[in-house]
Amino acid sequence: MVKMSVDPVQVMSGQVNELKVTPSSNGESRGPWEEKEFDQDHLGLTTKPKSPKPENAVTIAVSSRVLFRTEREQKVFEQKGVEEYLQYQVEHENEPFAPGPAFPFVKALETVNSRLREMYPQSEELFDIVLVTYNHAHVGIRLINTINHHNLFIERFCMTGGSSPIGYLKAWHTNLYLSADAEKVREALAEGIAAATMFMPEKLTEVSESQLRVAFDGDAVLFSDESERIFKAHGLDKFFEHEREHEDTLLDHGPLKGFLEALGKLQKKFYAKGHRLDCPIRTYLVTARSAASSGIRALKTLRAWGLEIDEALFLAGAPKGPMLEKIRPHIYFDDQMFHVEGAAEMGTVAAHVPYGIAQKQPCKKSTNA
Amino acid sequence: MVSTVRNPEAKQKDAQRALVVALTCQELFHLGGAEVSSSEPYAPGVAFPLLQAMQVVNERLLELNPEETLLFDVVLLAADCQQHQDRIIATTRHYGLDVSRFCFCSRDEFTHLLLRERTHLFLCTDARQVATASHTGVAAALLQPAPSRPTQQLRVLFCTDPADRPGTSQQVCQVAGLLGAMRSRLGVACGALSIILLTVQGGRESCGRALLTLRSWGLGVDEAYCLAGAPGGPALSLLAPHILFPDGSALQA
Repeated sequence: MVKMSVDPVQVMSGQVNELKVTPSSNGESRGPWEEKEFDQDHLGLTTKPKSPKPENAVTIAVSSRVLFRTEREQKVFEQKGVEEYLQYQVEHENEPFAPGPAFPFVKALETVNSRLREMYPQSEELFDIVLVTYNHAHVGIRLINTINHHNLFIERFCMTGGSSPIGYLKAWHTNLYLSADAEKVREALAEGIAAATMFMPEKLTEVSESQLRVAFDGDAVLFSDESERIFKAHGLDKFFEHEREHEDTLLDHGPLKGFLEALGKLQKKFYAKGHRLDCPIRTYLVTARSAASSGIRALKTLRAWGLEIDEALFLAGAPKGPMLEKIRPHIYFDDQMFHVEGAAEMGTVAAHVPYGIAQKQPCKKSTNA
Repeated sequence: MVSTVRNPEAKQKDAQRALVVALTCQELFHLGGAEVSSSEPYAPGVAFPLLQAMQVVNERLLELNPEETLLFDVVLLAADCQQHQDRIIATTRHYGLDVSRFCFCSRDEFTHLLLRERTHLFLCTDARQVATASHTGVAAALLQPAPSRPTQQLRVLFCTDPADRPGTSQQVCQVAGLLGAMRSRLGVACGALSIILLTVQGGRESCGRALLTLRSWGLGVDEAYCLAGAPGGPALSLLAPHILFPDGSALQA
């Protein structure tokens, strides 16, 4: 098992970015005096910031069942039907839901947003969290009350009352959709929207409140499932042989490549202001590939895509749970339920990406790439 | 000269208990360019899918309760169409449309007729006519052109954002109450009628207030969308309502 930082730590000495008049990453040329004036205008104001235009923001759509805990209500629905379920919701309208598996992730996104707003007050390059639920609008008041209670910045939502929200996901240029329902996630993936199914772990390890940490599996998540297909059809040796032969051929992209790209763009905004060391976004690759062999192709592919990943962890088949427990990501994406469950057992919030060859075969509790 | 003709083919509703909806003849059928002498039925117009959806709602309500009196009671208003009178009635029969009565009048008697027929809701694609009706004291809403994917479900949309020329809230409140009662009778699981709330400019606070206001008027909402400034056009085409209540200033009270 090798731990490697893909990007060596850079010491930014002698750079005084803050005082230079630079065309900032948000595309505007502002003199520092202009920014200062603007900041002073905002001192002491308690007005809510405006929501960014969907095409400018990194839109994260979450369903009500992953943002909050709704198990009790689910039971009412399953056992007593929709009318009783809605009545129950209305009766408990003033009781906020408890946080769900996506809650720490959303809170971390908001932390990043506050820092981005401090540094780039005019920019709309922010995270925009939207609530996308199949729930009936009778639950609307309770959801709004809950958002208020937890002080979340969610101003956009759709409660479709049962019909598919895919159209709205597309209209809002959704970069990531998180749901508790695998079918809905599959539908989104089929439409080219990065999506994953989230589960509530029994225990939740504490995660950072100041740094957003997102971890990705490699094959069938960031990359396509082409290599996994080789492994499943022909075994480990053939897999290694294939990867070695194709070391200089780029892997095809997977469903979450775009999301990593979006994170990278925001990271660069922090780097531009001298915050590489304390960047509040950190990304991880956690793969069963081996550093010395099959991992090389993965790294070369990332480099060719111009994507930076902060830490690449090559486990060479070792279980991912303990490593994830050390990293403490707010979310970890994997295409195999085996790994998702393993992560959850150790308290990591893991999300399943139902993509690729792994979905067509039952889970094997064996070493796999 | 106003003449009211009952449609003998349609079951007459109890006008005191029904939700009286007025449509214009020019929008239910394609009248323009047709030869006066022809006896062919007119082609369906922009209001046709709406009327069909309202009929389905009526059918469902009667299935649940054959004695149901809270039904859509459709009045067809025909201004300056006297010469088409027989053909209009014949076309209505031809399609088996559930239109209770026809009112033939001249253009300046139009709004008077709306009031006389105790119209709860006047529907039209023309925003100015809608505004005029509202100012006269009749709740009015925009009739939307047929969506690309036709639906059997009657979709009624309330927009939270204030329109340029606000209408009277009292009449909208009354219609909302009647629609709400209809919706409750159908039951949540019934897909014949969907009440939609759309907040374009505002955020969750606006939307929340509107939900509570509609609830206080007796109308439960099925679908709620809050755009917080995101483009309204794409959302509207996805939502594809038949009826759009454009002014939501009353919903922000």
